[in-house]
Amino acid sequence: MSFLGYHRADEFVGTRNYVLVIPQGLIAKAIGDFVAGVRTIQTVDHGSGRTANDRERIARVLIGLGRNPNVASVIVHAASPGVGYPELRAERLADEIAASGKRVEVIDPAKDGGVYGAMAKGMQLARMMVYEASKLRRVEAGDEHLCLGVKCGYSDTTSGIAGNPAIGYLFDKVVGAGGTAFFGETTEIIGAEHSLAKRAATPQVAKAILDAVARREEMAKSTGLDIRTINPVPSNIKGGISSLEEKSLGAIHKAGTAPIQGVLQYAERPKGKGLYFVDNWMGHLSIFAGYAAAGANLVLFQLGGGGLAGRDLMEGSPSIVAPFLWCTANPQTYQMAKDNIDFYSGSVIMDGEDPQEAGERLYRTVIDIASGTLSRSETLRHTDPVDLYLEEPRF
Amino acid sequence: MAAKRALVMHPKDNVATTVEEIQPGDQVRTAGGGEIRSLAAVEAIPFGFKIALEEIPQGAIIVKYGETIGKASRPISRGALVHVHNLEGTRARGDLEGREKQ
Repeated sequence: MSFLGYHRADEFVGTRNYVLVIPQGLIAKAIGDFVAGVRTIQTVDHGSGRTANDRERIARVLIGLGRNPNVASVIVHAASPGVGYPELRAERLADEIAASGKRVEVIDPAKDGGVYGAMAKGMQLARMMVYEASKLRRVEAGDEHLCLGVKCGYSDTTSGIAGNPAIGYLFDKVVGAGGTAFFGETTEIIGAEHSLAKRAATPQVAKAILDAVARREEMAKSTGLDIRTINPVPSNIKGGISSLEEKSLGAIHKAGTAPIQGVLQYAERPKGKGLYFVDNWMGHLSIFAGYAAAGANLVLFQLGGGGLAGRDLMEGSPSIVAPFLWCTANPQTYQMAKDNIDFYSGSVIMDGEDPQEAGERLYRTVIDIASGTLSRSETLRHTDPVDLYLEEPRF
Repeated sequence: MAAKRALVMHPKDNVATTVEEIQPGDQVRTAGGGEIRSLAAVEAIPFGFKIALEEIPQGAIIVKYGETIGKASRPISRGALVHVHNLEGTRARGDLEGREKQ
């Protein structure tokens, strides 16, 4: 099968066609507010006082978002507090994004007449970039150009028995067609790591999976707490999940059955195609920005919702440039939050729908949204600031 | 009254997931995981929670998806609700580490 997408110079294919302004801050916000079709990143982490490793993580996010195939062209401004560090220099970010063949422009208050001047220049550039981008037409692209990222959250038992298996079917289908898919949440494979390690493409990948879990479990133990006071989170327990192991064993169903090609760090781009495990943290404001920076052109949140009473409106789009889909298998969640839900698979539990048929319906939904239909969350202007996954202390 | 439904994820499992609200005394019929079983619920079990398919002694392993999801922190009767009050996780238990160190 195939979708309709924007073919880029580096042979990646976008499902959207944005102009991106980075890093965060006043200049990016002003341009984004003023010019239609512009995306920006909102986050508090600008790199100042961060270690070299964490600054490089921030750079990976910014460069990765710029290189994401859903982005047509990019403006980098040189007015971020982190800009003095070598990792975060505007020219470095711009050069690495431009290597993809995209147009990238740098604006700099020191050279462009102050912040007001840089804003004005950026607005003018952004208008022309949006105009140029709009001339590009969607053209058929094979499924090997899909790059998906998933997280499950507010998980309850419907997640493990119907919601995650539907995602797993989608992943198998896309990976089987030569595409790419990311799953992660290291805490939430604790108890299920051995079955994932068996699916590793090489012994090195198996070891990397077990090492990532061992490192995370040691961190958890060092708190001196029963992990159940942290994760499973209260809404999981309210939804019927009794232990972290049970949550993990349900969670891994979203990864399908394909071989795991590698373990990636947050916002790290894979070297090839296929299924990848990302050593990341579950927070939805963190994980989706990382997937988009790694190249995801569509991301999915598989929602349980047993503990979400009264949430009839759900915010979304923490993936900045990648369409964001809400999926659920919980009939109560679906009834309560219908406006927000892109895909419902509770019919597997309630009406005996074949799980493969549900997976096939999800696949068609994904193709449709990849081809330009808006996801429900894309109909909202609201976006929350993202929480970049940085691991080292601040100084 | 028609039997209430519960799903067994794997033949090795000793718990099933309820897909209906279950009242004490309800007959529960399992689907999935090999043989179909019929048992009486000994207490209320909400939608999406777990019912014990057999007597589970204290300390015994509780199995779902064919894998360990924890152990029984007290004896569990066949037909009883299995949740955090009688199931204990065995992984990432910093609290137990601390106890060992003391």
